[in-house]
Amino acid sequence: MGRKILLVEDDRETAAYLANGLTQEGHSVEQSTNGQDGLFRATDSSFDLIILDRMLPGLDGISVLRALRAAHIETPVLVLSALASVGDRIEGLESGSDDYLVKPFSFAELLARVNALLRRREARVDPADHRLTVGDLEIEPLSRTVKRGGRKIDLKPREYLLLEYFARNEGRVVTRTMLLEQVWDYHFDPGTNVIDVHVSRLRRKLEEGFDKPLLHTVRGAGYMLAA
Amino acid sequence: MTTTLRIALLAGLLALVSNLAILGFIYLRTHDATTNTLRHEVIEQGAVLADVYRTGGMPALRGAIADTVNYSENEETAVGLFDRKGRPIAGNLANLPRSEQPLQEGYRSGLLRFADSTAPQEAALAIHRLPTGDWLVSGRASPQGLALRNTLERSLLIAIILALLLGLVCGYILAQYVGQRVRNIVAVTGRITGSDLTRRIPLSGTDDPFDRLGLQINEMLDRIANLMQEVRIVTDTLAHDLRSPVSRLRTAAQAAGETSDPARRDQALASIIGQADSLMRILTTVLEISRSRAMTGREQFSWFDADALAAELSEMYEPVAEDSDVTVLFERPPRPMRIFGHRQLIAQAVSNLIENAIRYGSDGGEIRLSVEEDAKQLTIAVADRGPGIPEDRRAEAVRRFGRLDSSRSEGGAGLGLTLAQAIAHLHGGEFKLDNNEPGLIAALVLPLSGDDQQPTADPGL
Repeated sequence: MGRKILLVEDDRETAAYLANGLTQEGHSVEQSTNGQDGLFRATDSSFDLIILDRMLPGLDGISVLRALRAAHIETPVLVLSALASVGDRIEGLESGSDDYLVKPFSFAELLARVNALLRRREARVDPADHRLTVGDLEIEPLSRTVKRGGRKIDLKPREYLLLEYFARNEGRVVTRTMLLEQVWDYHFDPGTNVIDVHVSRLRRKLEEGFDKPLLHTVRGAGYMLAA
Repeated sequence: MTTTLRIALLAGLLALVSNLAILGFIYLRTHDATTNTLRHEVIEQGAVLADVYRTGGMPALRGAIADTVNYSENEETAVGLFDRKGRPIAGNLANLPRSEQPLQEGYRSGLLRFADSTAPQEAALAIHRLPTGDWLVSGRASPQGLALRNTLERSLLIAIILALLLGLVCGYILAQYVGQRVRNIVAVTGRITGSDLTRRIPLSGTDDPFDRLGLQINEMLDRIANLMQEVRIVTDTLAHDLRSPVSRLRTAAQAAGETSDPARRDQALASIIGQADSLMRILTTVLEISRSRAMTGREQFSWFDADALAAELSEMYEPVAEDSDVTVLFERPPRPMRIFGHRQLIAQAVSNLIENAIRYGSDGGEIRLSVEEDAKQLTIAVADRGPGIPEDRRAEAVRRFGRLDSSRSEGGAGLGLTLAQAIAHLHGGEFKLDNNEPGLIAALVLPLSGDDQQPTADPGL
């Protein structure tokens, strides 16, 4: 199902590449190449998502974002930035964006985040304590219990958080960086396979004794929980 | 108006004001002293003559007046006896002191004329009325006192003019001196601006404000020189370290272009992306190091529990460590240990240390993470049981991107210790490497004094 996405990016090559990819995913993409125009379009019509470059001619991305939030436009915003330091990421997130992606990034990473943000908008009505099911897997957020095929699976607290995040993004690709940011709340790149090891432990617990895999590896992108 | 002139004028003005105060004081005191002495003598003389009249009557008084006139030591002595109409009866005075009011007894000053003189003179007088109605006037004309006063006033005036001139001269000399010292500093800073960073401001060794200014500038220069040196090392090393990933990337790209086998091409392309990512990682880490060294990010400091962070990280790395057959041990302290700092960066530093320990110290079988605090500082340490780093190479390990193991191929890994040190520095703390006998202890020592702590220059750089 296609969505309306506003892409504010001054680098034409990047913009064309992203617009092309997002259009192929079935979204309709409107493009803008500077901050003022981007802000004008964002306030003028309604979008499901805004992808905003941080460094723009005219009005920079953070100012556009602040202006949007000040005008009570709550459209999810994904900030793209070449500013990669931990401090820059935190500043980007604290200025009201919903996600922050450092350039260069793979399209898979961008797509995963776009999908997560679009889904979050859709799922905003879901109560946080609502039971989650993926195939024969049942997750009870209130008691933090997990069952598969009626059998209880013991998870460590972090494994549970990991699984819950996967389940809330059921059927969508979740990247390693997303996991690190969302499950551990760390905004740096650890540089080792630390996330993979955690995911494979979780996978072992979920799939041991069952034929059907639940937690899939998506090559070049990340992981996906799907029945 | 130049500063020199302004300093000279200010000094001159200050000298004038202080001299005026002192001279004024002298004037008042000497003036008072002369008039007081005169007054005493005059009153006493009057009282003596009145006593003579009381005991000996008019004849004795006339004798005493004559004696006073004839035998007086100074010629200013004035004595006169006048009848009630003011006609002179005895003495050396021509008339009663002129007065608008009716004549009264007591001490006063006034103009009077000596019998042998035509000009009236200023005099201090004691006036008595005798029971007969006659006036007894005795006193002293005071040309001496007046002369003294005149001399004094002239001298004081000259003194004031001298003081003003001297003040201006002193001010000029002072301004020259101050100007010279400032010019020295300016000359040195000028040469430094002209890119000679090794110059230092000469100090007089007296610890005066100029020395302190010079010292401050010299310290600033030391720090700048350190940073420049560091930048040079980082640039050199970076240029050097980037060569191998770039050349691997180039090889992979070439391989992808030459092969016709799709599977091999995919493999080569994946390798290109991997190399590009590792290049980005190096660059991000270098960026993080330079930002931390430039003290950027302090505005993101907050209070957090260091022990909770350590527990989280040890849990995070526990599975990775287990895959390398090493255990991460962390004994959580009984009470929370709070610190004011950059949670994300400290997490990154500690995670770098743990990763290093896993990578190079896993032979030892255990990695011990600890958080300790005393009154002044909090120490987060990662200790392994691996081969460690010999003492003489520790500084190099931190400084030169830690490329002790030249066979290492993972990009950016060598920056871990450098980044840890930069992050410690951002917090005003230290990064220490120590011998775990055997193994390496890498510790972040962070001051607890909080956000106002001003870090000093990097040691060992």
